[in-house]
Amino acid sequence: MKVSTEINQEIGYLRRFNDFITTGPGSPEEILDTLTKFGIDWFVTEEGTLMIKYWQVAAEGFVSAEQAAVIRSTQPFSNQGDSLDWLTNNLPDIRKQYGGQWVAIHSNHIVASALNLPDLLTKAAGFDTPLITFVSAEPVVWNFTYAT
Amino acid sequence: MPPKDFERVLRFYESQDQNGKTIRLPLVEVILITAANNRVSLSLLFDTGASVTTLRADLYPMIGLQSWDQGQRVDIATASGLTVAYQYTATLEIFGKLIQCPIHLLQMPPNPLLNGLLGRDTVFNEFGFGFWESTSELLVTSTP
Repeated sequence: MKVSTEINQEIGYLRRFNDFITTGPGSPEEILDTLTKFGIDWFVTEEGTLMIKYWQVAAEGFVSAEQAAVIRSTQPFSNQGDSLDWLTNNLPDIRKQYGGQWVAIHSNHIVASALNLPDLLTKAAGFDTPLITFVSAEPVVWNFTYAT
Repeated sequence: MPPKDFERVLRFYESQDQNGKTIRLPLVEVILITAANNRVSLSLLFDTGASVTTLRADLYPMIGLQSWDQGQRVDIATASGLTVAYQYTATLEIFGKLIQCPIHLLQMPPNPLLNGLLGRDTVFNEFGFGFWESTSELLVTSTP
């Protein structure tokens, strides 16, 4: 089947690509140049982790526009839950490092931080729907405020 | 009661209150389309006790404002008394549905887990909900 073959080829390519990144002989700068050459969005986090975003067409005309609308209406939207899970589970550690700063969370990493929101939005502009929040330096005493 | 098909489950997330007691909050990741046409995600508390959807006042740069208090002034009652909010309209994607949503900017404590309240004006106008007692889950449909 054509789609399966293409996807299998793609998975094989990504495995070789991952090997290239982790065990390849190139310097980090050379690897980043290669990513740019292949049109792959990359970002190095403040912790030194390399993040990449790479979309590959697997099958054009896979479904009709009508079917696509149905599928898109039911698919979970990007990162729903993941970032919140990570934030709630790691908040004390995040506060130690980023207390008093705005942060952008994507794929379970802080991908950008800044002392003010406009700077953060600029730094995080390359990421798809990063979770944005302000990490207070001290735990917040939260009085629930209900508008009526 | 007619049967309902719910497409999504809204989860509760654990947090600590001011006494160190574990509480569970129904948090929703809402996508806001910024003034620069970027998509960013904000965590809001699903709060049917709030009549309107509110965001923290210092999020005003996201919607292209020069300050938080340049919109229509609205006096609203809160649990801690009467306070001032300013009304705007923002494009939000909630549960996969893109809507033009009235929002209020309000000064509120900077809790990292939530940047505002998803109020009942938005949720009841646009969605249907169901819940089962003690399951700590809310079920959501975009076609009520």
